[in-house]
Amino acid sequence: MPTADPSLLGLCLAGVGVGLLLLWRGFGGYRAAARIGDTSTSRIATLAAGEVRISGVVERAEVTLVSPLQSRDCVWYRSRIRSGGRDEQELFAEERGIGFRIRDASGSIRVFPRGARIDAPDRFAERTGPLGDEPPGLALRGGSPFTTPAEDREAAIAALLTVRVPDPDPELSGLGGGSFEDSGRRYEEARLEEGDVITVVGTALPFGHLEDPSGADRLDRYGDPLAGLDDPEVAAEVAEARAAGTLLTPEEAWGNAAIPGFGIGRPVRAPELDEGVTAPVLATPEEAARIEQVFDLEPDLLVVAAAPDSPLLIATGTPGEAVAREEGRFLVGLLGAVLAIGSAVAGALLLATG
Amino acid sequence: MSPTAVAALFALLVLVVVIGFLVIGTYNAVVALRNRVAKAWANIDVALKQRYDELPNLVEAVRDVMAFEQDVLEEVTARRAAYSDRDPIPRQAATSEATSEAVRHLFAVVESYPEVKSAANVAALQAEIARLEEIIADRRELYNDQVFRHNTRIAQVPANLVAGLFGWTPQPFFAADDDERERPAVELREA
Repeated sequence: MPTADPSLLGLCLAGVGVGLLLLWRGFGGYRAAARIGDTSTSRIATLAAGEVRISGVVERAEVTLVSPLQSRDCVWYRSRIRSGGRDEQELFAEERGIGFRIRDASGSIRVFPRGARIDAPDRFAERTGPLGDEPPGLALRGGSPFTTPAEDREAAIAALLTVRVPDPDPELSGLGGGSFEDSGRRYEEARLEEGDVITVVGTALPFGHLEDPSGADRLDRYGDPLAGLDDPEVAAEVAEARAAGTLLTPEEAWGNAAIPGFGIGRPVRAPELDEGVTAPVLATPEEAARIEQVFDLEPDLLVVAAAPDSPLLIATGTPGEAVAREEGRFLVGLLGAVLAIGSAVAGALLLATG
Repeated sequence: MSPTAVAALFALLVLVVVIGFLVIGTYNAVVALRNRVAKAWANIDVALKQRYDELPNLVEAVRDVMAFEQDVLEEVTARRAAYSDRDPIPRQAATSEATSEAVRHLFAVVESYPEVKSAANVAALQAEIARLEEIIADRRELYNDQVFRHNTRIAQVPANLVAGLFGWTPQPFFAADDDERERPAVELREA
């Protein structure tokens, strides 16, 4: 009985797998392209509640993020570091987003990003050199992923002129390359920064209708305890527990962390601390007002967020660019189908002819 | 079953999945478009009703002072009275256009009455109606764009192949057609 070359058969099987994966991703692209392309752009000033598409530039809200690989201020990032060589593995992966505003010619609106699907191409894609030398542009984050941008020009100048001793992020230490073993390590980072043109398709709803504004203001793909709230069943159970009074209050659950400004900036009131610990300096009235106004939004004010029946989609570029990218993904998916079929036929011929 | 038969079956399955996805995807896209058109229309309707409710307040607020401008006031009142949410969309568009025109005329006349213009309640009503006019204009644009997308989609392959089967027909734009433009929307009453 004739026997086929196992390595060729393996290649055919891989072709089938990759083709089907591309096809699956292509289906997602088709759905996204239809959703973006079939919704008209609303002007923010005259927005009506319900599913909307808006397009404009990103404006920061009260807090921004610092990206892990290039230490750039942004409102969302997705960063990955992968080892080089044949046994490639993921050394670091983080995706995080925070509430921001989007502005068009008529006004601006707050976007709560939890549960969003974000389509943004990589802005940084480099690999270490042959001797493990760091790629140009790599500036690993030191310190907190959150930052509060300087309020005025003088503060911005002072911040620029202040020399800070780097406090490396423990998760990132040792991932900057530096030895022969690090050669071929790949760095990829996609970001949404202030001033970027984006298109958002989501649900406009009054701020007062958001069940959990704090949770909705965060997006964390890795280990977000609130991510399950996107699931209607989980959300229903949480709502039931909240109604029954069996949920802990933020103070009970998080202690000092529930105090505004405790994690970022300065706390607005004295936290409960162990004896002997140096008490933190409390916020000045101006700082406290700034911290407290994080969600100082009128209950009737429209905001954009994900809804159970209408997921939030954020894409870089104008609507036309976003649709073109998604349609490209669908075309690649169709090519994936051709690859899968071709690989299956080739595998069958190999088996038949030996 | 021979390997070639399995491969042929696999190829057929992939083709069926792709075609099935396209058919279901197109159907769902058209249904979503129809719902978006309906929602866009409902949003215009809300703004038209709000304007309908606000206009009498403005007319009442300026009526006494603008005694010599009864024609203008009557025109606004009559155009408003012509509104009916049961009319076909082109007729509602014609009525809305005529009402907007009458409101603009009224605003222009109010400018020549400083005592009216400076009255707080008149200024507030004028601002509210101007805001509603802006909302109506924006939502009209949004609705027409949504209708355009719907009508284009159902006229294109593959949706046009099944449009008759599912009863998909082009939706009307929110625009006065020629008949409606020529028709005098209302008879003005004598002052």
